[in-house]
Amino acid sequence: MSEDFSDIPEELYLATEAHVKYIQSLDTRKDEYDYWLTEHLRLNGLYWGLTALHLLGHPDALPRADAIDFVLSCQHENGGFGAAPGHDAHMLSTVSAVQILAMLDAFDELEKRGKGKEQVGKYIASLQNRQTGTFAGDEWGEEDTRFLYGAFNALSLLGLLHLVDVDKAVEHIAACANFDGGYGVSPGAESHAGQIFTCVAALTIAGRQDLIDKERLGRWLSERQIAGGGLNGRPEKKEDVCYSWWVLSSLEMIGKTHWINKSQLAAFILRCQDMEKGGISDRPGNMVDVWHTVFGIAGLSLLKYPGLQPVNEVYCMPKSTISRIFGR
Amino acid sequence: MANQGGSQHGIARTSRVRTEAQRQRDLERIASYRVLEDDLRARVKNPRTAYADRASAQHVFDLTTRLLRLNPEYYTVWNIRRRALLVLLPAGPKARRGDCCDRSSCSCLGETQPSHGCPKAGRSGTTADDAGDHTSEENDEEKKQDDEETEKQTRTMLQTELEFTIPLLIESPKCYWIWSYRLWILRQSISRLPVPVARGIWQAELALASKMLTKDRRNFHAWGYRRHVVAQLESDALGGGSMVEAEFQYTEDKIRADLSNFSAWHSRSKLIPRLLEERGADEKARREFFEAELDKIHNALNVGPEDQSLWYYHQYLMLNLTTLPPNNEHTITPTLPIEDRIAFLRNELAEIRDLLEDYDNVKLIYEALIDLTLDLCRLEGKRKPDEEEKENLREWLGKMKELDPMRMGRWRDFEEGLRREWGVEA
Repeated sequence: MSEDFSDIPEELYLATEAHVKYIQSLDTRKDEYDYWLTEHLRLNGLYWGLTALHLLGHPDALPRADAIDFVLSCQHENGGFGAAPGHDAHMLSTVSAVQILAMLDAFDELEKRGKGKEQVGKYIASLQNRQTGTFAGDEWGEEDTRFLYGAFNALSLLGLLHLVDVDKAVEHIAACANFDGGYGVSPGAESHAGQIFTCVAALTIAGRQDLIDKERLGRWLSERQIAGGGLNGRPEKKEDVCYSWWVLSSLEMIGKTHWINKSQLAAFILRCQDMEKGGISDRPGNMVDVWHTVFGIAGLSLLKYPGLQPVNEVYCMPKSTISRIFGR
Repeated sequence: MANQGGSQHGIARTSRVRTEAQRQRDLERIASYRVLEDDLRARVKNPRTAYADRASAQHVFDLTTRLLRLNPEYYTVWNIRRRALLVLLPAGPKARRGDCCDRSSCSCLGETQPSHGCPKAGRSGTTADDAGDHTSEENDEEKKQDDEETEKQTRTMLQTELEFTIPLLIESPKCYWIWSYRLWILRQSISRLPVPVARGIWQAELALASKMLTKDRRNFHAWGYRRHVVAQLESDALGGGSMVEAEFQYTEDKIRADLSNFSAWHSRSKLIPRLLEERGADEKARREFFEAELDKIHNALNVGPEDQSLWYYHQYLMLNLTTLPPNNEHTITPTLPIEDRIAFLRNELAEIRDLLEDYDNVKLIYEALIDLTLDLCRLEGKRKPDEEEKENLREWLGKMKELDPMRMGRWRDFEEGLRREWGVEA
């Protein structure tokens, strides 16, 4: 079923070519100070850029072989991946590495030239706190439902979810639930759209959506849309393109995207584009970055905006990748 | 993948064309940044030599200081700093006893660190507590002085670390890595210092969390951090006791300063069950407490009926009425008789309806009225709404559609539910 976007003004359209060029340019900015200051996000950045390109229908706009080489160059002996060569292994970059290899259909390269799937799985499993079920980001112990979701995401893609105590992790998520139907970063913490995405997606991967109070959560999530069409992440906060993903994908997972106005949200995302130079920003007129670019595009894809490949709401990856891996 | 570090939030889009002078300046900054980074990387390439002795560790440590000031998001450099610090920190009395490790500091040791083992041969295993094993009082005196010296050094070093992160936090209050490093330092204080000293350090941390929340009342990190710090201060490890009264008062102060601070309302909802339990509140006290909370939210709603924060808290209070035994031990009034629950709901309906006199165009009021009506039907044996109620429900739903067309899909689903479950035809 195609959505009705006819009330969006004509001058607002998806600047596909500009976005492709923008993403291709990201690794050529070595004469910019920021390029060096953001090296700790390189592998995440590659995942963001590559996902955006896949959704834009230009999966080959970054050379596949180079991408695989780079990913493998970030792997440590223990199986985990750092953000770039010379950076310590961390859950966030490890998840990105797995997602990139999944999108590029390159798990075989991980076996041949890397440390192998099993070792990656072991690294991730080693970060689970077996008492509480939650996960740390790395050996230094910061815990957050972001890492729990990342672990479930990567392990399920690798077919290695059995390496961790799924039930304990699910119990931990249940303990993060709040009276408003949302979830926080840890038990006791306030509901936050980003954290809701991680908890709802992790419960979906675990096949435990029965624990979600869908009615209450749907109400909370739908109230995130504010005048102007954009979504915020918590009550009484400003809108931001990244919540087009966190809120919308959560609504999709519980079957309630029709509880917000899709066309107004699409128009808001489109207004955040840099039409000439490509990229999407948090709000109209601000500086673009690849992070808001991918979540803006993924949001438009979930909204079934024309010209985009369909995105999977749980993994934030192309549906085609997810069907190839899970055979559905 | 949810890491927001390095993304551009709220920075105005400017022309991306740099002048040649700006480009040159960038190139110079890049060059000096990379010299520093290369230097550090070369040093830590071989972990066995990088931290082999104090001098090497100190050198590495100093490089991280310079690099982190330029780039506090560089998580690997924070890790390197931790590894260096573990060499530089004196092995304290607690450390020598072998119980110095929390989960995180231990797990790092296998990979990069020589163990904490006592550097002074022959002293291993001695502690202030087992001093009695030694016959020589002179030895004891000497050791006590050693321990005091060690404690002082440790304390100074940890405090210097905490001070080091302050300007970085002020610059980047949402940087996860800085918060996480601070917590690691604080945990070191528990494992390495006598309880009263460690407690003092954590108490100062609570003051910092308060200060951050004065600067940004809703800072997600700061609220989470505060909860964590309080939990530690309450723990046995720091010889603590409950701080629930003080924390409850803190939410009171925050709400008084800004009714719209949902973070404070949320925190309040999480503290209440413990607060009442620790007060040993009986049925009467609980009921009075509930009434006082209701008064508070009514007063707030009278001023700001458009504020979602207030309505969420109102919903929380209503859940107290609608959540019945046996699954309600965490509510404010778990033993409230059903007739009283119904009376409260009826009263609430009247109160909220009064708001319509001053504000007839606020969707959230209509939404609450619908919720309350259906809650009442549920509590009264899941009866169907009577004719008057049906009429009201239809009218209020119509108002919601009119005032909030953005969520039309939700109102349609709701309308369908009203018809199917409650027999209310459109």
